[in-house]
Amino acid sequence: MIAQNFRHALFCAFITLVISYPILGLNLEAQGISIKLTGAETQTYVGIALAVLIVFLFQLFRPAILGGLGRVKALNPLVDRQPMPQEKRIRFERVALVLIVLGAMFWPFIASRGAVDLATLVLIYIILGLGLNVVVGLAGLLDLGYVAFYAVGAYTFGLLSQYYGFSFWMSLPIGAVLAAAFGFVLGFPVLRLRGDYLAIVTLGFGEIIRILLNNLTDLTNGPDGIGGIPDPTLFGMEFGRRVKVEGNTSFHEVFNIPYDSTHKVIFLYLITLILAVFTLFIIRRLIRMPVGRSWEALREDEIAARSLGLSRTAVKLSAFTIGAFFAGFAGTIFASKQGFISPESFVFLESAIVLAIVVLGGMGSQLGVILAAIAVTILPELAREFSEYRMLVFGAAMVLMMVWRPQGLLPMTRVHINLKKQEAGVTDHA
Amino acid sequence: MHDVMYFLQQLINGLTVGSAYALIAIGYTMVYGIIGMINFAHGEIYMIGAYVSLIVITGLAVTSPAWIPLVLLVALICAIIVSSSMGWAVERIAYRPVRGQHRLIPLISAIGMSIFLQNYVHLAQGSRNIGFPLLIEGGISLGGGEDGTFQANLSYMQLTIFIVTLICMTGLSLFISRSKTGRACRAVSQDLKMSSLLGIDTNRIITATFVIGASLAAVAGLLLGMYYGSIDPLFGFIAGLKAFTAAVLGGIGSIPGAMLGGLVLGVAESFTSGYLSSEYKDVVSFGLLILILLFRPTGLLGKPEVEKI
Amino acid sequence: MKTKLNKLVVGVGASLAVMAAGTANADIKIGIAGPMTGPVAQYGDMQFSGARMAIEQINANGGVMGEKLVAVEQDDVCDPKQAVTVANNMVNDGVRFVVGHLCSSSTQPASDIYEDEGVLMITPASTSPAITDRGYELVFRTIGLDSMQGPVAGNYIASLKPQRVAVIHDKQQYGEGIASAVKSTLEDDGINVVMYEGITAGQKDFSSLVTKLKQANVDFVYYGGYHPELGLILRQAQQAGLDAQFMGPEGVGNKDINTIAGDAAEGLLVTLPPSFDQKAENQKLVKAFQDKGEDPSGPFVLTSYAAVQLIADGIEKADSKDPYEVAAALREGTFDTPIGEVQYDQSGDLKSFDFVVYKWHSDGSKTPVK
Repeated sequence: MIAQNFRHALFCAFITLVISYPILGLNLEAQGISIKLTGAETQTYVGIALAVLIVFLFQLFRPAILGGLGRVKALNPLVDRQPMPQEKRIRFERVALVLIVLGAMFWPFIASRGAVDLATLVLIYIILGLGLNVVVGLAGLLDLGYVAFYAVGAYTFGLLSQYYGFSFWMSLPIGAVLAAAFGFVLGFPVLRLRGDYLAIVTLGFGEIIRILLNNLTDLTNGPDGIGGIPDPTLFGMEFGRRVKVEGNTSFHEVFNIPYDSTHKVIFLYLITLILAVFTLFIIRRLIRMPVGRSWEALREDEIAARSLGLSRTAVKLSAFTIGAFFAGFAGTIFASKQGFISPESFVFLESAIVLAIVVLGGMGSQLGVILAAIAVTILPELAREFSEYRMLVFGAAMVLMMVWRPQGLLPMTRVHINLKKQEAGVTDHA
Repeated sequence: MHDVMYFLQQLINGLTVGSAYALIAIGYTMVYGIIGMINFAHGEIYMIGAYVSLIVITGLAVTSPAWIPLVLLVALICAIIVSSSMGWAVERIAYRPVRGQHRLIPLISAIGMSIFLQNYVHLAQGSRNIGFPLLIEGGISLGGGEDGTFQANLSYMQLTIFIVTLICMTGLSLFISRSKTGRACRAVSQDLKMSSLLGIDTNRIITATFVIGASLAAVAGLLLGMYYGSIDPLFGFIAGLKAFTAAVLGGIGSIPGAMLGGLVLGVAESFTSGYLSSEYKDVVSFGLLILILLFRPTGLLGKPEVEKI
Repeated sequence: MKTKLNKLVVGVGASLAVMAAGTANADIKIGIAGPMTGPVAQYGDMQFSGARMAIEQINANGGVMGEKLVAVEQDDVCDPKQAVTVANNMVNDGVRFVVGHLCSSSTQPASDIYEDEGVLMITPASTSPAITDRGYELVFRTIGLDSMQGPVAGNYIASLKPQRVAVIHDKQQYGEGIASAVKSTLEDDGINVVMYEGITAGQKDFSSLVTKLKQANVDFVYYGGYHPELGLILRQAQQAGLDAQFMGPEGVGNKDINTIAGDAAEGLLVTLPPSFDQKAENQKLVKAFQDKGEDPSGPFVLTSYAAVQLIADGIEKADSKDPYEVAAALREGTFDTPIGEVQYDQSGDLKSFDFVVYKWHSDGSKTPVK
């Protein structure tokens, strides 16, 4: 046993050396017009040697270490804890949501301008996460091209404002409905496909939309993108220093206060907050309604659900369309926040990040999605000084999360009714 | 006449890239066939293969006036060793612990791994495009070229790609159909639980699948890196996406399907650029994928799925 | 690895500097926004190196109006979304003068914020005409426009009298902008443009495109875009036996093209700003860069230096730290900078910015042809 362990540890250490030394220790560098191979710094070699040693020792004493960890885990109150009783859990989630929303309302008045702006981005990702949660978490349809609907929303607003001078409030419903229509039309043929085929087709679809936006230069301005997208107004009041659209007044003149640029940022934040709460509320309702139940039924067992009379197409389409609708919502807000959109904002990585939010949050769980959206957006910002390593850490965190806590931050548990044991067979009419 | 030559040239261009896609697609399709997951990090393994072979080629050219076939062979062997170790490690670290979880969990883990590996190489080697020397020069004329008409060429590099792909594919087919491990692979892909009950070490087979896929990707990395002329940390992702599309196109899980899918995709791309416009190359390849899946939901050579109750 | 650690140290240093600046209010903060990471980080390095040098030298000479300049550096990765965050952070930090951003697609959304918030911005690298054509008061640049570079290239091509010209671009703001300017100049000059086509940036296989160029029998190819793609096109064209003259904008004039294309880069024509580092009056400055171990020959090093200097000179001239007054001073005056004598027009563009046609050689050197 020990000999075998030793052999295995040696092997693992060797593999570590093989995968780290050539890439880290030998650098290709362009010197003038030719490529030269240069050695790395001494500290890199020390690092590689350390990694090899650590892997070797860990593998050698793996049973002991893991055993030790197991005992530590037993001390951890989170592991063997009984799941919260249902009533308590529901109450907990409700209280947490209310607290988050309340906190979010006061946030702009205590935080700096940059922090409010970042929080707006977080809210956009929350809307996206909640929307995709319907498709992936609840209906179990793996969508890797969610960013396409986001792009449709953003471009609808961009194009409408550019060609017809539509305002934010007119474009918001149009963008969302158009994105939903796209979801519907595309969902129709595609939803017959199962699982991973659906994943690759949606991925391809997302890419097609982005490439079309880039290529249809006459309509979308191609790679130049669309600029000068207006900010939202409040009953015809603009928040800029100068009024841009004729007939509008400016916020600081109406209230006779000195112009302050943070008003605009805060206003946009509050609008986004309202829309995020709206999204949360609508989807929360939908989950409880028959349509929401049927999403989950189909996810759990398609054949059983169909034999109970659920229309597969209708159920899947409704999830797809509703998900797309909220992506369109988020897209419109994003366009307004940026003031400028171009196809490069809608790449596959964006879909992957939203998907990561849904999965990290615990698929299906709304509170989890909100927490995950906050974490995924803010962590890279906090690590801005170490920006070189930001994406490396992001990737590693995704893997580690999946390995250690695959159920997500706050896994979803369905609301259900407990049967009383003593009156077996009789349902509690709660 | 010269139109025929033009057609021929575009066909050759398409088949060249297509065979390389096929080599990468094998990795996707074998992994999917056995454990039913999309190994998103596979494109990165291919990219690492290309980097390692360039590192070896650059290193050898500096130290000794080398005989080119030997340099290539050494580079190929090193690339295969590093890539397959990488494939092994990725499977151990990111996939084995999450095996058997919900379908999305390994997928997210794979996307995370892909981002991680991209940035690992980016940090170690920089983000620049690095030129890859062309060691196999020259070619054969296939006709045309008289009084200013179009002349079609088959370069030795393209020929090498065809031959190496053919060797790898034949070798793989023989391995799968004849060897003991190959037979076990087929058994595991049909029913993982049953074959483990019958005494097959399924973990070993799954590891073998990753290693084989990674080795083929390394071969593709060397060949395509040299054929194209430059490499960068991001190019694995795009190629991986294409190869995955090829695997699905051919019917994921099926090895002949991956070959066919790769060739179809390569030729479709080449003809789109040649007769339409390069701008719509990716639109056509993804559009083709969607169309084929609509009419043949399991790909060109995939077996129709039976819904079991 | 070393450069990365250095960057880390610089980053931490910069943030400490920002915190320190919070206490010493007398300093003038100069924001430097550009890519420190990401695919075009090498151009960002040029920008930061030029701007840092200018700040160092101006401070060594007693600063501006007796106050020191302090750099506030931020990384936008050339991502439009992050550029907006960076711009907001700049405003938040109380920065009133920004040198940046680098990529046109980042500069554009960021400039909206700067203009609204009364921050003066000088981009040392963004060449898109869209940035200055919106009547903004506080947006300037120290580089020419795509619409200036295109005609220079187009007229030069026309003077060579090619029979069949192909114009290729990379479907990005910069590349397509220049390519379309070249195309329209060529058409005005009565040159036969037989192909106008986009490729995908980041793509590697151009064999089909090259075959198509060969089939169309072109004798001149203009490429709007950056060096990684053109390097591959050159190499694959040589492989396929395509015999045509190639030309590109300053985005391809980089020694990296030689590592990719090898011999095939010989004879490539490139429009470049005149090499400011070759000018006699800049030799002292060039020496200062070399003493620091930095390379002043990149296209954006001295434009960034000039951008900082213009801000400093503008403040001195306006005798005020108010961005609007500085902007007015910049529009009125004539300034002597390493990129030559600078005068601004009403839109914030340089009144004149020359581009020169160079011939590129396979050893990475270049010689002017006009």
